[in-house]
Amino acid sequence: MMEEMLTNPLATLILAHADDKLLLGHVQSDWTGLGPILEEDIAASAMAQDDLSHALMLYQYLGERYGLDPDVIAFEREPSDYLCCDLVTHPDDFDWADALVKRWLIAVFTSLGIDRLSTVDDKDLAARCNRIKPEQALQIKHLDAWIQRLGRGNEESNARLQSALNRTSELAGMLFEVPGHRVAEQPDVACGRDEMFNQWLDSIQQTLASAGLTAQFTLPERGVTGGRRGQHASHFHEQLDEMTEVRRLSPGATW
Amino acid sequence: MVSKQDILDVLYDIPDPELPVSIVDLGLVKTVEVVACRTQIELLPTWTGCPALDVIERDVVRRIQELDGVDECVVKWSFDPPWSPDRISDAGRSRLEAHGITTTSCHTNVSNLVQLGTSIIPCPYCESRNTRLDSTFGPTRCRSIYFCEDCRNQFEHMKPTADDQ
Repeated sequence: MMEEMLTNPLATLILAHADDKLLLGHVQSDWTGLGPILEEDIAASAMAQDDLSHALMLYQYLGERYGLDPDVIAFEREPSDYLCCDLVTHPDDFDWADALVKRWLIAVFTSLGIDRLSTVDDKDLAARCNRIKPEQALQIKHLDAWIQRLGRGNEESNARLQSALNRTSELAGMLFEVPGHRVAEQPDVACGRDEMFNQWLDSIQQTLASAGLTAQFTLPERGVTGGRRGQHASHFHEQLDEMTEVRRLSPGATW
Repeated sequence: MVSKQDILDVLYDIPDPELPVSIVDLGLVKTVEVVACRTQIELLPTWTGCPALDVIERDVVRRIQELDGVDECVVKWSFDPPWSPDRISDAGRSRLEAHGITTTSCHTNVSNLVQLGTSIIPCPYCESRNTRLDSTFGPTRCRSIYFCEDCRNQFEHMKPTADDQ
């Protein structure tokens, strides 16, 4: 059943988004208690909470179709069967600018991807995606506002955001890697990779321009493989180990 | 045997754990089905990451199964239609407003975080529109925090969930 899911084209597209959300929710919850101001501390934790619930909604959808417990999908796959982009687990070293830029680039990508998934001819999947959309839109508005606020703030805030962008921009193209190294052919919904990248780029560049920031983004060559095809960096493995530690120590534990 | 109305009467008496209104007034109840001794209730989550959902489900199952003539109660969470503040009843609105939580459904511009400009959400205490958004993410997933420049009170607002919020 797991095998059937991992080799189904649509399922791997859904998994890519669900895995991004699962890992992002965990990584970003590291900021709980450490946000730069109280309101942002709460916002960061709330967004992490949203991400985990969105991941669960997508795992539940897959679980019902493939007869799997959503927790088993989330926590019991081989590391090479996780299809998240490695930008998600790229360490921010507790630099708020890095965390913000990373989250924003991923959030805009997710929004476009969920839009596409909502057009698949499946009522349940569409309902779940349509429920995620407004929550995702609110995250983007919040993050967008921060990018503009800090970009236009003062010399220091602009410089710190710009250097975070310089560190992150070259990793962002891999968000668009077509997932599923065990799938023969991806359905139409995955094939508009270039179009989706251009939409994403328009949206990102518009905000950057009004914030007084600049960045270059490129779409990776089709042959380049990364997280979405199971080739993960060491920081992904460290994060996965941490997330699954309790489950491995005490299978079936509840609290 | 219990009727659908018997079930609704009990649901009216179950409060949301984080708000001073019943789950019926909040618009969480989508359908109630009674077949012989089995009841199935479909509920809509306000926000999908709301940690109160498990508590609500537990409360509903416990209270309905206490009824004579009910052997089993099943709660299903549905995402269709998406919950929105439009589903809150008039009674629910008055109770929330009395607790300083507005529900007015109108188009807010979250990007006014940048300018921290005047919002169009009226203050529940003095009805002034000279209010501003303090934080989109409030004490629970469904509420944001506003501040009234006239009466200097902080108040909360039930976040719209429509796409064009």
